[in-house]
Amino acid sequence: MFNATAMSVHNSSWRRVLALGLLAAGSAAGADAADHPLIGRPAPDFALRAFAGGNVRLSEHRGEVVVLEFWSSRCSTCGAQLAALNRSYATYRTAGLTVLGISVEDSRRHAREFVQAHRVGFQMLDDPGEDVSRLYEVDSLPMLVLIDRSGTIRDVHHDFGPRDEARYLLELRRLLDE
Amino acid sequence: MKLSLFSVLLLAAWALSATAASIAAPAPGEAATSAPSSPSAAAHTSAATQASATSQASAAQSPAAGTGALPAGAPNPAPSAAETRALDEETQALKKDVVDLNRDLYVLEEELLYPANTQVAVFVSMDVGSFFALDSVELKIDRKEVANYLYTPREVDALMKGGVQRLYVGNLKTGSHELVAFFTGKGPNDRDYKRGASIKFDKSIGAHYIELKINDRQHRLQPEFEIKDWGE
Repeated sequence: MFNATAMSVHNSSWRRVLALGLLAAGSAAGADAADHPLIGRPAPDFALRAFAGGNVRLSEHRGEVVVLEFWSSRCSTCGAQLAALNRSYATYRTAGLTVLGISVEDSRRHAREFVQAHRVGFQMLDDPGEDVSRLYEVDSLPMLVLIDRSGTIRDVHHDFGPRDEARYLLELRRLLDE
Repeated sequence: MKLSLFSVLLLAAWALSATAASIAAPAPGEAATSAPSSPSAAAHTSAATQASATSQASAAQSPAAGTGALPAGAPNPAPSAAETRALDEETQALKKDVVDLNRDLYVLEEELLYPANTQVAVFVSMDVGSFFALDSVELKIDRKEVANYLYTPREVDALMKGGVQRLYVGNLKTGSHELVAFFTGKGPNDRDYKRGASIKFDKSIGAHYIELKINDRQHRLQPEFEIKDWGE
């Protein structure tokens, strides 16, 4: 009897802890998206050199849904996020999706090695002076910026988890449908 | 004792149910829409009802009046084609006004930021460009970097089609100045290519225009970078 009661109390406390944890995670994710100062503002324009050659200017992609992915070779989840974005890009590029990967890297050699190790279909750009990172107020990696067809920043995401790919897909579909 | 307690509880339950019933039922004052609470309100309501009934009757009797006056609460009909056209023209006129205003503001801003007596503008143009694929231009005036521009394939195409780009506009005091431009890109045989060109010019009162020209030198199969001073 005592054991059963103790077990039920133990279970209920765990449930409470789990619920609180989920609530905190949910509120953190919400805060992550809603608190970035650039949301709702026009995306700052930039031009950067691509690792594959040639230059890319953001304003030339007006009318497309643009995803900016800030990455670094030191970031543990950047590779997984780039792979997820590559899958989305392969599916939706014909619908007007553009993905640009922007390196936030101190070492050019490490950045090149990372690009060679993570082959993706979209453009990977070099930001040697980290001017664009400052422009977009990158404070943690990976950072994902969603820009709609009118050139307005609609959402900013930090970090990347197993369930985030589905979440990003939903947001991308919504933006592509607009 | 138990019985008296039970009876008290029963009484309390009855009292509560009676209160709940009185709350649920509409108060006499609240039912004014269906039954007026006072004789004056009743007279007013009946007069209004009669007036609306009269107007509806007259509208039904005369077809001409029926088209103009709609009964209260009826949905607005869809606007006619002429109305839609007029609205569209008005919108277009407003848009044009906004564009004109924006242009005027831009000109005004330019005049304020770069007054004519101190203004220096540098332009880039390209002729043919088969020996050189432009990647970037770095511009220095008096040893100070004032512009560093990366060109996308679209921008290079526009230059090759005859477009002229204003690379830099700024202010300089009157006197002698030096301008240096570095052109980076791919040269003949797809090799990395970087060349510089410089010019010394005298800035006097009035806007000063300088053109950076990229040409093909056919007999040497090499690109040529020329700086042309258009003066004032």
